[in-house]
Order: sequence, then C-alpha cells, then structure tokens
Amino acid sequence: MRNKTSLIFFFLIVFQISNVFAQEKTVTGTVLVARDGMPLPGVNVLIQDSNRGTITDMDGNYSIAVESGDVLVFSSVGFQTVERTVGDQNVIDVRLEMNLQNLDEVVVTALGISREKKSLGYATQEVEGENLNLTNEQNVLGSLSGRIAGVQVTGASGASMGGTQKIKIRGVNSISGGDQPLIVVDGTPISNANFSESAGADFGNLGQDVNPNDIESVNVLKGPAASALYGIRGQYGVIMITTKSGQKGMKDINVQLNSSFTIERAANFMPLQNMYGGGSSQEFSTLPNGDPYVAMGVDESWGPRMDGTPVRHAWSFYPQDPGYGELAPFSPQPDNIEDYYETGYNLNNGVTVSGGNENTAYRLSINDTRIEGVEPNTYLNRNNVGLDASLDLTDNLTVSSNINYATNDAQRPSQGSESGAGYLVQWFQRNIDMNRLRNYQYDDGTFQHWNLRSPSSETGEITNFDPLYWNNPFFEAYENTSNDRRDRFFGNIGLTYNVLPSLELRAFVRSDMYTQNIESRSAFGGTGLPGFSIGKYQNREMNYEFLAVYDRTFGDISVNATLGGNIFDRRYSYLYQSTVGGLSTPGYYNIEASIDRPEVTNYLLRKQIRSGFGMLSLGYRDTYFVDASIRNDNSSTLPEDNNSYWYPSISGSFVFSELVDWDLLSFGKLRASYAQAGSDLSPYQTTMAFGVGTVYDGTNTLTVPNNLNNPDIEPSFAHSYEAGFDLRFFNSRLGLDFTYYEQKNENQIISLDVSGASGYSSSIINAGLIENKGFELSVNAVPVQTDNFSWESVFNINRNESMVVELHPDIDVYTYGSTTYSSVTSYLNSYEGKPFGSLVGQAYQRDEATGQILLGADNMPLYTDATHDFGSVLPDFNGGFQNTFRFGNFSLAAMIDFQGGGQFFSRSKMLAVRTGQDPVTVATNSNGMNVRDPLEEGGGVEVSGISAETGEPVTAFVDARSYYRNVVGRRIYEEWLFDASYVKLREVRLGYNFGQNLMERLPFEAVNVALIARNPVMIWQEAPEGIDPSEISTGSQSISWYESGQLRSVRSIGVNLNITF
Amino acid sequence: MKKSYIILMLSSFFLWSCDNFDDEININPNLPNQASGTQLIASAQLSLSGLSASPKGAFMAQYLAETQYVGQSLYPQESTSFYGWYQGPLMDLETVITSDDLNANEGPVANQVAVAKILKAYYFWNITDRWGDVPYSEALQGSEDFTPAYDTQEFIYNDLFEELKEATGMMVPGNIDGDIIYGGDMEKWEKLGNTIRLLMALRLSEVAPEKASEEFNLAWNAGVMSSNGDNFVFEHLNDANNQNYWYNQVVDQNREWWAITENLVEEMQPVNDPRLPVYANPARATGEFVGMPYGIEEIEGAETEDYSLLGSEIFAQDASIHLVTYAQVLFAVAEAAERSWISEDPEENYNMAVENSILQWTGTSEGAAAFLSNPEISFNSDTALEQIAEQRWVHLYMFGYEAWSEWRRTGYPNDLVTPNGVEIPARLNYPDNEAFNNRENYNQAVERQFGGEESIYGKVWWDE
Repeated sequence: MRNKTSLIFFFLIVFQISNVFAQEKTVTGTVLVARDGMPLPGVNVLIQDSNRGTITDMDGNYSIAVESGDVLVFSSVGFQTVERTVGDQNVIDVRLEMNLQNLDEVVVTALGISREKKSLGYATQEVEGENLNLTNEQNVLGSLSGRIAGVQVTGASGASMGGTQKIKIRGVNSISGGDQPLIVVDGTPISNANFSESAGADFGNLGQDVNPNDIESVNVLKGPAASALYGIRGQYGVIMITTKSGQKGMKDINVQLNSSFTIERAANFMPLQNMYGGGSSQEFSTLPNGDPYVAMGVDESWGPRMDGTPVRHAWSFYPQDPGYGELAPFSPQPDNIEDYYETGYNLNNGVTVSGGNENTAYRLSINDTRIEGVEPNTYLNRNNVGLDASLDLTDNLTVSSNINYATNDAQRPSQGSESGAGYLVQWFQRNIDMNRLRNYQYDDGTFQHWNLRSPSSETGEITNFDPLYWNNPFFEAYENTSNDRRDRFFGNIGLTYNVLPSLELRAFVRSDMYTQNIESRSAFGGTGLPGFSIGKYQNREMNYEFLAVYDRTFGDISVNATLGGNIFDRRYSYLYQSTVGGLSTPGYYNIEASIDRPEVTNYLLRKQIRSGFGMLSLGYRDTYFVDASIRNDNSSTLPEDNNSYWYPSISGSFVFSELVDWDLLSFGKLRASYAQAGSDLSPYQTTMAFGVGTVYDGTNTLTVPNNLNNPDIEPSFAHSYEAGFDLRFFNSRLGLDFTYYEQKNENQIISLDVSGASGYSSSIINAGLIENKGFELSVNAVPVQTDNFSWESVFNINRNESMVVELHPDIDVYTYGSTTYSSVTSYLNSYEGKPFGSLVGQAYQRDEATGQILLGADNMPLYTDATHDFGSVLPDFNGGFQNTFRFGNFSLAAMIDFQGGGQFFSRSKMLAVRTGQDPVTVATNSNGMNVRDPLEEGGGVEVSGISAETGEPVTAFVDARSYYRNVVGRRIYEEWLFDASYVKLREVRLGYNFGQNLMERLPFEAVNVALIARNPVMIWQEAPEGIDPSEISTGSQSISWYESGQLRSVRSIGVNLNITF
Repeated sequence: MKKSYIILMLSSFFLWSCDNFDDEININPNLPNQASGTQLIASAQLSLSGLSASPKGAFMAQYLAETQYVGQSLYPQESTSFYGWYQGPLMDLETVITSDDLNANEGPVANQVAVAKILKAYYFWNITDRWGDVPYSEALQGSEDFTPAYDTQEFIYNDLFEELKEATGMMVPGNIDGDIIYGGDMEKWEKLGNTIRLLMALRLSEVAPEKASEEFNLAWNAGVMSSNGDNFVFEHLNDANNQNYWYNQVVDQNREWWAITENLVEEMQPVNDPRLPVYANPARATGEFVGMPYGIEEIEGAETEDYSLLGSEIFAQDASIHLVTYAQVLFAVAEAAERSWISEDPEENYNMAVENSILQWTGTSEGAAAFLSNPEISFNSDTALEQIAEQRWVHLYMFGYEAWSEWRRTGYPNDLVTPNGVEIPARLNYPDNEAFNNRENYNQAVERQFGGEESIYGKVWWDE
C-alpha cells in the first residue's frame, strides 16, 4: 500500500513537471471535508479526459496547471466526487461530502478481520466516532442509545457522573438477564464489569474507560453469527470499538485540540404539594409555654396546613443556632428540593498528536475530564492516555502496539430511596427550608439535622440531637462520602507477518487490567453507627491470540480463510474490609478503628478458556458469498467431563444488484445465517463449599450455602437464525437495512429459585428455552444535498419479543429479582409460556363480573397477595432518529431516541404519595373539600367499588391519610406501575467551521466551535413528571424494572472547541 | 520449509486448546470445602434468637404497640417467609444428621447427632405452630426434591415426638465441642429434649387430649428441666457481630418505635409485678409506667416520651433470649395437674412457676412471695387455667410467637385488642414464593387446610 502510494505520488509529480510547458495558468485551492471543514489530504485532483493531475497535501492544498474550460475532478476514497469547470478564477476551493453509503465499505468484523460489508451474511451496524461523540457523554456507551437498530440502552442520570449504561442487543437472551455484550477495543476484549449495587453510589460500567475522542468507529455485531469467533463471550453480541491511529507517510505531525465546557443543571423534579407541612396530625404539638412546634420526629407531610403560623422549627432548638428559641412562619418551601442541587460543570480537554513516516505510524492522545456534579460535593476526574504505534521491522513483518491508560477518581452521590438525597422526595417535610440546612455544621463542630426527637414536654428543650431516621442531606453529602478510584491499562502488542502476499500470520498478546478502589464513610453525628469500608478489586484478563488469514482471489472466486486459537486467562481478586460496631475515634476512617471484629473478605477467582477456530468464506463474482465457521471452547469452569464443546455457524449473502440493471437501485443484497454459540458459567459452581458464619466468642461457625452448586452442569447453546436485506437507492441517497431474527437459547445455566423448604434458595441448573424474535430496521437518507445545504438522516427501530418457552420440569417460574419495602414484596418473574420478565406484586382485588375494585368493611380497597402478574417489563420497540443539517459553515445535529412500551414500578412515586408529599394527597374532592379535611365535614378521598361483603356497589369517602399511607401507598403496587414509553431529545450540536480565509491568518489549520446540549429535553413520556423512564438503571441490575430514589435528571449545555494545528 | 513451520505452529496451538486444566482451578479457594458437625450445629444455634426477637411476634401477643409508622400491628394480610429457617439452621442440622463422617474428636458422634435432632425438632415445632402444615418429611433434600410436599401438622407433631425420643435415647456419655448454648453438657440437652416434648404435648390439649396426656406423662417421666439453670437461652454478646436484635433497632438505629402495651401494663402495674421495671422503662415525661393502647393508627399529640418503651435490659446488646424455660415447665405441670393428667399439686407448681419467672427476669425471687400474695395473683382453683395462662403470658414476654400459640390454644389473655375491628390472626400466611416455586404442593396444602383460600385466619390443626 505504502509503495503504491509513493509510486502514484512519483508519477503525479513527473506528470506535473512534464506539463509545465503546456500550462496557461495555475489554479490553487484547498479541499475541505464538508462536514467539519477539516482539510482533506490525499485528494486526487485530475483534469477530466486527461492523464494529468495532482493530490492535495497535508493541509488539503493543491496547485495545478490548467487551461480555461478544463474540468477538475476531485475524488477521494470515502467521499463523493466533485467536478468543477475552470473559468476565470485562480482559486478553486472545494468541499467534499462524505460518501454515506460506500458500496465497497470495509467493516471490521470479529477478531479484527476486515471484510467487505457486502460479503457478510449477517447484520452489523456501524457508527462513526464523530457521530457518537456529538456532545461528550460522560459514559460513552450511553451514546449508543438509539444509534443502532437492535441495541437498547438503559442509562443512569448524569448526576451519577458516568453511571451505569446497560446495553442489551436484541432483547433479553438469558433468563438470568446477564446478557451484556462483549466490548472489544482494537481487538482486545475489555471488562465491562460494574461494582454498583442497586443503591448507593453508581460507579458505572467499566466499558466507559475508552476515551471517546479516540473512537474512530463503533461496529456492533448483533447476533451470535457475527460473534461466533468470540465464542462464549460474544454470545450476546459484540461492540467493536476501533480507535484512531496514525498513518504511515503522513510526514507532518498533526496536532488536534478538543475542549468542551458544559454547565449542568438538575431537572425533572417531581411536582409536590405546598399546602400541608411535616407531621402526622393537622394540629401542632405545643411546648410548655404554649408555642407550637414542627413535628420533627415525623418524616412525612401529613401535618398542619402551612398557613404561616409562627412555630418553632427544628433549628430553633439548637442552643448554638443564631435562631435559637425563635418562632418562624410555618410556610411552604416549594423549591426546597431544587435548592439542594448545585450547578455542576464538565470540563474536557484533549490533545492528540499523530504522525508517521515510511515505516512507522503513531498516535498519542491525552484527555482530561473534570466534572463537578449537580449534587453537592460530588466530582469525577478522569484521565486517558492512549498510544497507538506500528513499526515495519521488515517488508513483511510489522510490530504494533496499542496501549491505553485510564484513571478515574470520583466522589459520587448515592442513589436509592434509603441513602443520599434520594429520600427527599420520599420522606420529607414540605416546610423545610433547604437553605437553613445548608450550613450543616455549627461552629462548635456539632451538626444540624431536621429529623429529631420531640422536645421534652417538661422543659421544652431537646436534649438528644441524634438524628432519627434521616440525616441533613448536606451532612450526607459532605460527611458520608463514597470515593472510588480506578487505574486501568488495556491494550495489545502484536506481530503481523506476511508469509505470502495472500497469507498473513498474526500473534497478539492482549491485556486488560485494572485496580478498583472503593471506600465509603459513615460519620459520627449522623444516623446509625459510624463506620468505614474499603475494598480493593483487581482484575487481569489476558488473551493470547494467534491467527492465520489467507485471502486470495482465483478468477471469479475469492477465498478468505482464517484459522486461529486463543487462550483466555482471567485472574480477579479482591480484599474488602468493613468496620463492625462503630469507629473508635471520630474522623479516623480506618479498619483499625473498628470497635468489634471487622468484616474481612478476600477472594480469588481464576478462569481459563482455550479455544480453536476456523472460518472459511468464499465469494463468486462479487455476487454470491458463503461463510462457515467452527469453534471449539474448553472452559475451566465446567465439570471436567463436559468442558469441551464445538459450535458452528454458516451464512450466505447474495448481491442481486450485480445481476439486475435497474438504475434506481444502487445496491441490493439478501443475506441469511445460522449460528450456534456455546456458553459456560462463572467459576466455582460445580463443587460444594460451605459458608463462613459469625464467630461467636471464639467458636467458628460454618453453614451450608443457600445456593446449591451442580457437578453435572453442561454448556448451554444458543441457536440463532437471521435473514435480511440491504437496499440502496438513488445513488445510495436512500438506504434500507432490514433484519429478521430468531434466537433460541437452550439449556441455559441459571441459578433457579427453588422452594426454600428444600434447604436451598436456588440451584445451578441447566434449564429452559428462551426464544427471541424480532426485527431491526435502519433507514439512511440524504433528502437534500447541495453545495451549501445538506440534510442527512438516520432512523433506527427494532422490535423484540422474548418468550420463556420452557423452564424446569418441576418449576415453572423463575424469579429474577425481588424488592421489599415495609414488608411488601414485588418480583420480576418469568413464567413458562409467557413473555420474559413479568412484574409481579399486589394488585387491587376486583369483582369478577364488573372488574370493579372490591372494598372492605372500612371501605378501603382490598388487595391481592403479591402474586399478581402485571405483564412484561420489556419494551415493545425502541429506536432512534438522528438528523444532521449543514448550511455553509454551520452544522446542526440532533439525536432523538425513543422507546415504546415496557413498564416499571416507581417506589419514589409511591412513597411521595404515602408520605403526603404528592399533590394527589391535597386534591379537592367532589364535595369541593380538600381530601384531608375531616370526613364529617365532607373531606376524604372518594372511593367507589363493590363491597366484598355485600356485593353491592359502594361509593364512600375515606380518610385520606389512612387511604394513601396505609393502603394504596403501601400495599397496592398496581397503582405505582408506569409505562416506560418515551421520546427523548438526547443530544444537540450546533457547530461552526471557521472559514479557510481566516485560517490563513491564524496558526491553525481548522477551527470548529459548537454549542452542545446533552439531554436538553424529554419530548414526551408516558410516566408522570419527576421520573425519567430512560434513566431507571438500578445499579448493576441487568434488567431495569423498578425505580427507587432515582437520581435527578441532568440537563447540560455548553461549548465545544476543536482546533487542528 | 516455511510452510511446515506454519503448520507446526498451528497444530501446536490446537494442541494447547485441550480440556485439561489445573485440577484446582475450579475449586473455590475462598471458602472451606469441609465443615465439621459442631461447626454446623453452632451455626444453627446462632439463628435461635431469631425465633423470638421479632416485632411481628410481639404484635401477635400484643406485648408491644407501634408508636410510629403504625402498620404491621394492624394485622395486615401479608405473607411471611419460612425459607430462612429451612435454608439456614435446618439445612445445617440436616447435614449433621445425615453425615457419615462426623469427627468423634469433637465429642461422641451420637451426641452430635442427638443435639442436631433436638434443635431440628425445636425449629420445626416453631415453624408448624406458626404456619400449620409445612414441608417436613420431603424437606431439606436439596436437589433430590426441589418441590417438597407439605405434611399435616398432626403428622409433624407425631413424628417430632418420636424424633425427640430417639435423640435423647441415643445419647452416650461425653460432651461435645462448640456448643454455644449448653457448653456441650448432654444432660441439659436431654432435659431440653424431654421438655420440648412436654410443651408440645400440652399444645395438643384441645385437639387430642388423650395423646397429649400420654406424651406429656412420657416426657415428664423422662426428666425435664429442674431449675432455671437448665433454661434454653441464647446469650447475645457485647459485640456487634453477635448482638441483640433490639439493640440494633433501639440504639444503633435510634428507633423508638415500640412501647409496652396498655394491656401488659394493666396486667402488671396494679399488682406491683417486680418484672415490670425489667420489661419496660418508665415514660420519660412522667417517670411512670404508661402502656400504649394497642393498634391505634393515630394518637393525637402522642409523643414517645409519654409512654413506657422497651426496658433497657430487654434491648441491651448482650441481652439473653429465653426460649424454653423452667417456669414454662412449671406452668405446664400446673396446667396438666389441673387437667388431671398427672398427680401434681397445681398450686405449688403455679407458685413455683411465678417465682422462677421472677427469678429469671429480675435475678432474684425476693419479690415473689409478696407478688403471689396479691389476691388477683394468688392461686384460685376456680380460675386456675385462666390464671396459669395469664401468668404464662406475662412470663413469656418478648417471645411473642410462643405466647401467641398459647393464646390460640387457651384463649387467654381474653382481653387482647382487635385494632379497627381486625381480629388477631390465627396463623401466618405462607411465603409468596411458594406459589411460584412449589405451586402444586402449596395449592394442595391450602386446599386441604383452608378450602383453597389462604388466610391469616385459617386455623392450624391443634387450634380447636
């Protein structure tokens, strides 16, 4: 390749010289990329109908001798060719449009093997890095949302600063829900582990350690067909990230600077009532002197009307408070929750240097991200350094290396209804002035809280200032901190040897290693015992890979064959310690300070998979293609007798546009494939081990574990079938890509919940058959394309149905998860014969004939036990819509993603109602009275239904507090299920390229400035305001089915500056 | 040459990918692969306090009232899981009982098995009393049976009698190690085994009086507890790893959620019961013992300082949890004598029962004579059964589930409250999950006992 280029170069120069004498004038100019105004080197500039031409230099400049009337043809691979007729002008600047649908598009497939896209018999979809990274998402994997048909992303709020972004490809493929795709960066599989739990800090998934600015493209291999070559780990799809690299022969050093700054605001607050304040009764309690006081022991808003009555607030009981002893109005604080949040910012700076010469190419990138969160005292600092280099040792032998270093240092807010500020919507008083709580610590070192015991009825003073159930949220933010830090290296080093022109041997060592530290503190002076925990988690994953790739064309027949082997070796260990019984010294956060024997766990995990595989693909006349592969995996985690297994795949494609001659159709392809993928399980699940119990006064206790391991486990297999077509019309300005697929996941290895009376809660078994069916449609269009204006549009949609066909001979329910609050449990179950993932819980009891709600003797609704099936939580469809407009130097890009169907249970909403904060608890009833007014005065909530006793219809008024607090807001989950449909404007970018004229006067080659907005608006959602259905990822849970103390949504707006030197 | 080199490389790669791994690679290095009998027994013993320490149990017997977040004390229809008992202590005990390689260095193998059998019987007795029919003979079989059928309570009682006899019968001289209850003293275990039988027999007084009397006599003659020193008590430690449930609630979590009920205070206060200052602390506001009315959702202006909350000794970090006590034996004997099952003096046993209860709770029996001299308290053969039951209720303080069983059997105390007109439950509902994981057997059990509709008002077999 290199030689060829130099050769062309050489000839062009020769031609240029030889034509010096024939010239009439010299035209110069610059060729720019239309999209971003960046100079485009290496463009062929030819005079039509001649053999004369030149190419543009590193700065996109060219100079050519022409005669008037000549037609200049500007062409470059990946761009649309442009023709210009030479007139009087001496300068001809040209902007080249990217070729949206390059017919000879080359895609990187499994194991980094480049293939022509048209030869593939299965679906893949690619996004360019620049499209992915419109607005610097905190967790780059979140940017995939809506951009690829068949990929569903459930995110976390921006307040988490890089929180969990869960990715599902083609629905749920595993009963246990643990079907995350494999993430591969430049051929190196990297860990996408997640250390978060369903509450507490959301540390996010580790895949985000990839520097977004390094990403050249992301290619998603959707089914096992595409990923058969990754074996077990590719079973649920592969996200292949290709990073940018330097180019040989660049000569010049190219330096790019990318900076962005955004400000971030918390948003989407739940509307709350502003009529009644804290307490459980509408009368104030009074001090011995007759002064009324706020019911500080009650973390609910069922108290007196907030009519401005002067009362003693919690702060007035602190002798060290300047307002000690004072009365202040009992009035609503409509913005008290908003007041807790701050304006955050996100500052991102990146520099890349790339270059190369005859036999080397390199690219170095450095990136620094600093985020201050919208929750007080939260931050994330992230640094990425990447080095990609290759060196030709000889003509045939190349050594290459790609090394990435990432570090994250964060202090994150807690999510969940029981920690951090998540409780404010749920257990709080509408009369509390947040600004009064802001100075949470008095000068004497004591802390100010709001949730206190009532004052003594004798003295009117509070003597015990220990907070009851909740801390001052600022105390939480500044004293009960959670810190995490991660250092990570991943990358590879490899040799590529061209034995023959058509045979290449590659040997790579790939590695991903990280150390994750997590610390958390509970301070003296808050609720519960002070404590400290620290964990250090280390992972090292090595892949030793060998490949032989044979690629040759014999006449009409092309052959591509690969033979390879891989050894995967993982070693993971951690040491976790936590204090027990409190800390010996305030402020001394160390395990040494544990009052009682601390909890200590050290853990080691080892796993190996050895694999061999082969693949053969044949093409005939660029029209018919067939691929076949076979793989053998040996996993150390399976029982010895069952640990080796083979699985094949076959696919074919037919480029029928080669055979038909229809001008409108630029390209047409049919494809079909069948593939198997085998799967193993986590280590240590085939032999018995005992649990270690508490040590009682020197006596060790051991216990039989709750999960029963299984020495007879077998590998499980997924069978997938897919078929689809790829059509492009009107010179590729309209493209349609459609895939239909079916996947049968058989004999899955799951931990099945069994009757606890068996002595175990669950058992590792082979069970089940899940069937997934669905389609994916991707439409690409360029409705308008002129020199000055263009409009590009990409629309993706997919629909997936997951059905549990079989489970177990004796048990037909699989419980994926459950959540309990106030002794009421709800479940996510899968029932044999039903769609995957039913939300199950307590519903209204209903009259069979009329469907009306049954009421008890006290006219309160009756409820079922927690076995009512509310249907699947999975969405019916989801997708995205991206539009890019270019007008002169301006460009506007907007990304919308959407989801239809699906549902979730919202504990935040339920508790907001239960604790009297929700507006429904102060509604006006049909008597024109407030529902909180006494029943005898016409107040109360109107309920109608059928009396369970008499069978007669009943309409009655019931006490609002009992109704919402003890019945509906506590026990009837049916009320708190919400449809998860939404349409969200996820990203907007308005960019401007400074003109070439300006650049000539500045020391830059190109400058692009953009206004960017992340998550600017939720266009529509079915669920009530205050809950974001697109951000219900609950820590590391692989299926999102309930929301509990979700972090507030974050809207960001800012600027981005991109400079090339 | 070159080609053969390549082939060699490739084939060597395929040779690597074989299925022989290091033998140890899939053996969990983080957990022990073996457990001794006494380690498992000790683990099962750690769960004992949980049988008693539970707000729900205290509500069933109306010892405690909720001061805030009133809900559970209103007796909602809700399921209560029994899984923890099977997966935890029972499976540990079953593993000991079925083991064929117990280590005799930790004490005679027969004694390890005997202790495991007694504990297993005690857990099952508690479970069946709460839920009714439960999985028993097919339970604890692991992968042999993931869906165990429910046995009738009658079958379970009969089988437990035999199991307990077998356990005490197999004992040989020699203590066992690692016993955190009795320090390995087999004599005490033998007495406990017989005492459990005695108390179980009494439970059948209404449903099968003859069988009850027969088993009672057998147990009595076999030798039951003879002093508070024989009591079956779980002692918590001054150590957060082994601390009292109530300490965590009241001290660590700062919860003043439970006050002593008005019923209990009215039972004890007028007769100057010396146990009251142990059971409860005086109300902070007044320094008096003030009980809280049970099951009232809203008490206007009520503050926790107005009521007597849990006694400091009750929520102490190292509090003792009394499970089976000598005073219970004496109350049982008094009642059996009153029923003419045995020829003992009911009054004498009643008096001793009260005296030993006071000794157990206050550390001294000094106030007993004065207390017994109260006209309401001193033995009256006309109301003996009621008196015995009332005093047993006072004695069983904080072991609400046991007191609730005795309330269901005897109907005393007969002045317990029905909050908002809601009756006191007659059993606990099965765990929701049984309807998922063990549906057929669950449905069968519900059908057999309650005609298809599960309810907390369905009666267990012995509850006539």
